[in-house]
Amino acid sequence: MQLMVETRNLRKTYNLPDGSNLEAVKGVDLEIRRGEIFSLLGPNGAGKTTTISMISGLVDPSEGDATIGGYSIINEPIAAKRLMGFVPQEIALYPELSARQNLVFFGRMYGLGGKELGRRVDELLEFVDLVDRQKDRIATYSGGMKRRINLAAGLLNNPPLVFMDEPTVGIDPQSRRRILDTVKMLRDEQNMTVLYTTHLMEEAQELSDRVGIIDHGEIIALGTQDELTQQVGEEDRLEMTIGAHETNEALINQIQQENAGVSRILFNPSQEGSEDSTESTPARLTVFAKRGRTALPKILQDLNSAGVEIQSIAVNEPDLEAVFLALTGRALRD
Amino acid sequence: MRKILAVAAKELYVFFRDRNLVLLMFATPLVLSTIIGLAFGGSGDTEGPEIAAIDVVVVNLDEGVNMQEIIDLPDQVADLDALPIDPAAFPPLEQNNTALNFGDILAAILLSQPPPAGSASPTPGFDLNELGCSLLDDSENAGAAAVSLQGSLEDLLDATEMDNADQARAAVDSGEITAAVIIPPGFSSQIMPRFTFDQNLRLQAQTAGSVGTVDVYTNRGRPVSAQILHGVVSGIVNQFARVGVALGATLETSTNTLVDIVRGGQIDLGAVDLSGLQTDLQDLDPAVIEPVGCLITPGANNISVSRQPLKAIQEKPLFNRIIVPAGASQAVFFALFTGVFGILSIYQERRHWTLQRLIVSPTPRFFLLAGKLLGNLVTVFLQLLILLAALTLIASAVIGEPTFIWGTNLALILAVTLALALCVSGLGVLVVGLAKTPEQVNLFGPMINISLAVLGGAFGFALPDQAARFSLIFWGVDAFTKLADFQTDVAINLLVLVGQGVLFFLLGTWLFKRRIGL
Repeated sequence: MQLMVETRNLRKTYNLPDGSNLEAVKGVDLEIRRGEIFSLLGPNGAGKTTTISMISGLVDPSEGDATIGGYSIINEPIAAKRLMGFVPQEIALYPELSARQNLVFFGRMYGLGGKELGRRVDELLEFVDLVDRQKDRIATYSGGMKRRINLAAGLLNNPPLVFMDEPTVGIDPQSRRRILDTVKMLRDEQNMTVLYTTHLMEEAQELSDRVGIIDHGEIIALGTQDELTQQVGEEDRLEMTIGAHETNEALINQIQQENAGVSRILFNPSQEGSEDSTESTPARLTVFAKRGRTALPKILQDLNSAGVEIQSIAVNEPDLEAVFLALTGRALRD
Repeated sequence: MRKILAVAAKELYVFFRDRNLVLLMFATPLVLSTIIGLAFGGSGDTEGPEIAAIDVVVVNLDEGVNMQEIIDLPDQVADLDALPIDPAAFPPLEQNNTALNFGDILAAILLSQPPPAGSASPTPGFDLNELGCSLLDDSENAGAAAVSLQGSLEDLLDATEMDNADQARAAVDSGEITAAVIIPPGFSSQIMPRFTFDQNLRLQAQTAGSVGTVDVYTNRGRPVSAQILHGVVSGIVNQFARVGVALGATLETSTNTLVDIVRGGQIDLGAVDLSGLQTDLQDLDPAVIEPVGCLITPGANNISVSRQPLKAIQEKPLFNRIIVPAGASQAVFFALFTGVFGILSIYQERRHWTLQRLIVSPTPRFFLLAGKLLGNLVTVFLQLLILLAALTLIASAVIGEPTFIWGTNLALILAVTLALALCVSGLGVLVVGLAKTPEQVNLFGPMINISLAVLGGAFGFALPDQAARFSLIFWGVDAFTKLADFQTDVAINLLVLVGQGVLFFLLGTWLFKRRIGL
């Protein structure tokens, strides 16, 4: 299988004002194959954007290198960048310009010109279904429409590789669905390679051929979804929200001992609201168990006997969330 | 290059799309300038009393120069005896009235009086005042430099004489008079070249290197009068300097040619009767030395700055005279904001991620910065140009006839505007480069701009020249005022503006590149 992106020991360290260092990315090794959708999945602050920024040449790595189609992003940046498109998390468009003017301007920066540029802009406007609004200023667009033009601007040079950094952040479900379908279409119909970052497990599961799970600047798991879920076994995940501070270690040990299928129990106590949010997080109990549905009645009985108030229950089959939880002890949304 | 132009064109488009910004950057200076022009200059072509009679005192401290000190042939040439002539045969140059006093001439011009006897008579029978120039018609050729200026200056200046420089300055400070022109001691000797002979008996003329500083001490509250007087005195002093240099060069060339001829044996000097030379000089026909007359008659040489501008100034409506410095200074002042905030927009681009999108495109990072800077430079240039054009239209409308308030030298107007745009834009890069955050630019940018405006006299009051020269506004307004007065000596202004601009640009780009990572 031909490689489109390869990174070796990619590392980024920032010097902080107080004189200390922050290692945002700690030696990432990746191999992304031509024509696949590769998702980099991790919680906010895990190092996804820094990694994608280094691979795309936006940020210089402190160590290591990345190659795009065989070109080093450090030594041959222009050749490497010719092979890539970039769809950032933010709406990277000029609000004073119309959609068409934005696309024409960015097209010029990719070396397009004349009729070729005009034709490509027409194609993309049609692709994102905004031909009718092409002359309107971006400032007048809805969030979803801006996202679509933002996506189109990353495809101007018809690149074999597209970086998409959380392209569905802050948009309505309809626009989100449209973008996800577009990403799949790019792979299926145009054989584009897509490096997609997200903190949403559902997106990664729906889109990805392979997934890299990143946390604290390190790739902690990498493979197809099946390969990753096999890492946590065939266990179901029983997620319960419970009344705060009603469990203790003895109860958890008791449940684990008295229920043969239960392999592990994680308890996340409730958390008070922070400065940014007044909402407090309820306490959560996550139980990993083979044949979870069968084990559930007994577990509920034990909790009930111990006087634990159960507010909600969900039974989840093995997925990426479970993988992340199993590997880090935290949920992705944490 | 296409990518640089694309970025620059986008910058221009974005700037001119912003209606509020355009309104602020164009309407405000135009309205302010017009109000200032109407308030202080009236709407018609009436002569304002301030301009019609600029009260000035002239203090002449120049003691003149003795021609004997200029050339002392027997003392300087040790081996004169080796020549086949008798040194005693040279006519004595020193006479009772051989002093040449340029200070007297300058004072007489400003006072609209005939030059005092002997002030321009280096030899008997050789009176500069009698020289004319056949290249000019009678109306232009009043006989000599001094006389030709009298008619126009008399209407413009109400000049009196004073002996003491300190008293004159005190009178200006107290507001008793508008200005004092103080001619320093040694003024003439600095104008006249010194002649020396080397061992080969070759004459070498050494110019003084500077013309001496004639102090035009002016009332800060009357900038227009001060500027006019400054222009008048500068023009005359420049004329003197030109005379000194030309005389030096002429005498050097002709004397050395003569020495070569004598040395070559083409003339038997021993056979020449030198005793007749003095008589010949005394009987010299003015027509023979007419070229010298042309040299010192302002209307006939290249730097006829003294007379024509005065005429132009006098013919200009007062509104016109006010709106030129006021409009130019307002235009530059507001362009300073464009310079700073145009560059600052790169921070905005970084915040909106359009900069990052550009960086990941296959475009060298320096192209992005160059395009941004070029866009800013062109924006400032167009802003200034549009303001100049709009002010011309406003002035024409107020005066009631088409009036080219900035003069007619379009090439120099464009050159000054471009130099100013370079300087303003360069300053913008430097200010943004120096600041660590956009917030610092928002704070310090206007402070710097306002300081420059205060120094450069954009707020209606002028600081002393020494201070004003630190402001690019001074150099810009000074250049535009000169061009409006049909003067072309803006080379220094251009040099200062371009020099500053290039320096600001290089320094700012270096700082900016480090800050923004481009």
